[in-house]
Amino acid sequence: MYPARFKGKILPFIFMAPTLFILLVFLYYPVVQTFILSTYRVAFLGLRKKFSGLENFVTLAQDPGYWHTVWVTIIITTAIVIGGLAISLAIAMLANQKIRGGTVYRILLIWPFALSPAVAGVIWLFMFSPGYGAVNYLTFLATGQELNWLGNPRLAITLIIVASIWKNLGYNVVFYLAGLQNMNTEVLEAASIDGANAWQRFWGVTFALLSPMTFFLLVTNVTYSFFDLFGMIDIVTKGGPLDATNVMIYNLYRDGFEYYKTGLAAAQSVILFGVVVGITLLQFRTAGRQVHYGG
Amino acid sequence: MPVKRVSFLLLSVFVVLALVSACGGSQPAPSGGETVVETVIVKETVIVEKEVQVEAAAAEENIPEGATVIDFWHAFGGGRKLLIERMVADYNYTHPGTYVRVENKGSYRDTLNAAILAAQQGNAPHVVQIFEIGSQLALDTGIFMPIEDLVIGPEFQADDYIEGVANYYKIDGKFNSMPWNSSNPILYYNKDIFRAAGLDPESPPETFEEMLDVCDTIVSSGAAKNCISWPLHGWFFEQWMANMGAELANNANGREGRATEAYLDGDAAKTILNWWKEMYDKGYYAYSGKLEDWDGADAIFVSGQAAMEITSTSDVVNRQNDAAENGFELGTSYLPYPASSEREGVIVGGASMWLTKDHADEELQAAKDFVIWFTNTENAIRWHKATGYFPIRKSSVDALEVQNWFELNPAYQAAFDQLLETKPTRATQGALIGAFPEVRTIIEQAVEKVLAGEASVDDALSAAKVEADKAIVDYNKSVE
Repeated sequence: MYPARFKGKILPFIFMAPTLFILLVFLYYPVVQTFILSTYRVAFLGLRKKFSGLENFVTLAQDPGYWHTVWVTIIITTAIVIGGLAISLAIAMLANQKIRGGTVYRILLIWPFALSPAVAGVIWLFMFSPGYGAVNYLTFLATGQELNWLGNPRLAITLIIVASIWKNLGYNVVFYLAGLQNMNTEVLEAASIDGANAWQRFWGVTFALLSPMTFFLLVTNVTYSFFDLFGMIDIVTKGGPLDATNVMIYNLYRDGFEYYKTGLAAAQSVILFGVVVGITLLQFRTAGRQVHYGG
Repeated sequence: MPVKRVSFLLLSVFVVLALVSACGGSQPAPSGGETVVETVIVKETVIVEKEVQVEAAAAEENIPEGATVIDFWHAFGGGRKLLIERMVADYNYTHPGTYVRVENKGSYRDTLNAAILAAQQGNAPHVVQIFEIGSQLALDTGIFMPIEDLVIGPEFQADDYIEGVANYYKIDGKFNSMPWNSSNPILYYNKDIFRAAGLDPESPPETFEEMLDVCDTIVSSGAAKNCISWPLHGWFFEQWMANMGAELANNANGREGRATEAYLDGDAAKTILNWWKEMYDKGYYAYSGKLEDWDGADAIFVSGQAAMEITSTSDVVNRQNDAAENGFELGTSYLPYPASSEREGVIVGGASMWLTKDHADEELQAAKDFVIWFTNTENAIRWHKATGYFPIRKSSVDALEVQNWFELNPAYQAAFDQLLETKPTRATQGALIGAFPEVRTIIEQAVEKVLAGEASVDDALSAAKVEADKAIVDYNKSVE
């Protein structure tokens, strides 16, 4: 194997230029702008601004409402990541069995991921809205009771978590399935011969060998819960009731585009940026060492 | 592919032609019964929409050479969008020197945001539709110019606007924007459910107290599961405040100076919330559980789960269509008020057309000519009939009366009378608050808290006042 070599130092940059250009315009420049904006008091989406140092961050730190959104985000993220990964792994294990029509099941499982968050949101809204929701109609027929899915904070947050897990299920299942199908079966056989029961085989071998996949999904699912939930929340609950589903990204949007507090929104964006960078670094450092790569 | 598309277009044209000719002969006869007339009107509206789809698609491509292009951004979707496109197509056809390019930019908020961002880039649309509570904000951005500064002499009839409308959009005695789609909340009710409950379908409840009685009858008789629905939206709170003659903000509702404080913990506010809470606790009031969910409230009423709905007059046509589709008889009436106070009236809601500055003079003139035409007597009538929004001009009202329009279409009557009977006070003029969008959410969350039983009415309102005052002060600081 020869390492790839270019003559001179310019050629590689020419090859990378299109990518670099796109990154520069659509990623780096906005990031820098966001950092700058976060230190300004901005009116009307940037029409007027005044330097204010760290005022926006101080305002956020002192605002109990903002801490509430942080708390909500942590709850929702934890539930989505743990619940989502556990269910996906279970389904992937089932779908990995050699049964008739296995491919069909596998394809069907991926479907929810093909939907945009907005479409998924509308589907769940149609099912759970008190006015026209099918779920309430059925529960009413069965029990004579109706649950206020969108008006009760606990139910609403549960609804968002379940819907989000469902939405991302296909994605997780695909990765777990790939991991399972590429798994070296010799190790499993060896474990069987050594007398390990199914439970031991799962935790000691399968789960351990899947840890790189789990680690990867952990990162992507955390990012999903932090950022991609916006569409779902905007359509299903609008952050309500009583801010029960007002996650950080939704609060940012409201402050930025509904209340015209652009500087404050930029500061929230910087915080989110920091959180995601932090989580990724942390995971690479700690989990990375225990992850079992190779096979 | 292109062949397919063309044949599809042709097919649509045929369908439209067939529909138009099928309906051409059936003008509403004054002697006909009420329901018949209403159905005919419903049909007419639908046809207007279908017809326009074809024309708008065709008009897209050909901007005449040398014409002054005017960009017009609005926030309407569905049938209203198609109607607007149709009206613009008419304008372009009859005004060869100008080409108006019309675009929907999403919600009211999206439209305003898009306009501000475009202005920052130096290519603001000439005409922007801005919702009423964005008025102060629009003024503060400094990207718009008052329409009255552009008009010359008799081309703009400032006196022709009905009082409520003029009151709202005149700021410091001057029209800053062209009044356009104006509405306020009315009570819609299902006469069939009233009959089933043994109530008189011609006398809907007028006061908060009567509402409680009527609801008791409806719910306990089992005629409907709930009694009434309206979206949990700050707009209704604002309207009830005005109806009781209470101002929402200091400095005469922000009209005599910048508002610095919201009046959210006064007696009027408490009366509204106490009643709202009682209605909710007794199972009379139902909403979808989501804030500002108009569709949710509509669904509860239209599906017959509730006997009444309070929503905008701009939904008259929609509700008539719904009633026809679902086979019930629709009634409309005034917004209920507490018997302890007089009925002062309602605030004009909706939106107006703002002109941006920093364009070449001929473009400004063309934009001005267009908005004057768009809201002239004939077009105000056309807009009113197709949507239910008010005919905003006195001359339009006169013409409608000559046509016996209100007699023939009683559903439109309540909406209109309610506005005409409104007393012109600072309260009914509506508040100008820069941070209005945020204040509105604060009010909604206070109501949410009270309904959920998480706070008493007094506590929720005084907490809301502190929050709202902070939002107002912060906003004022940012525009200093």
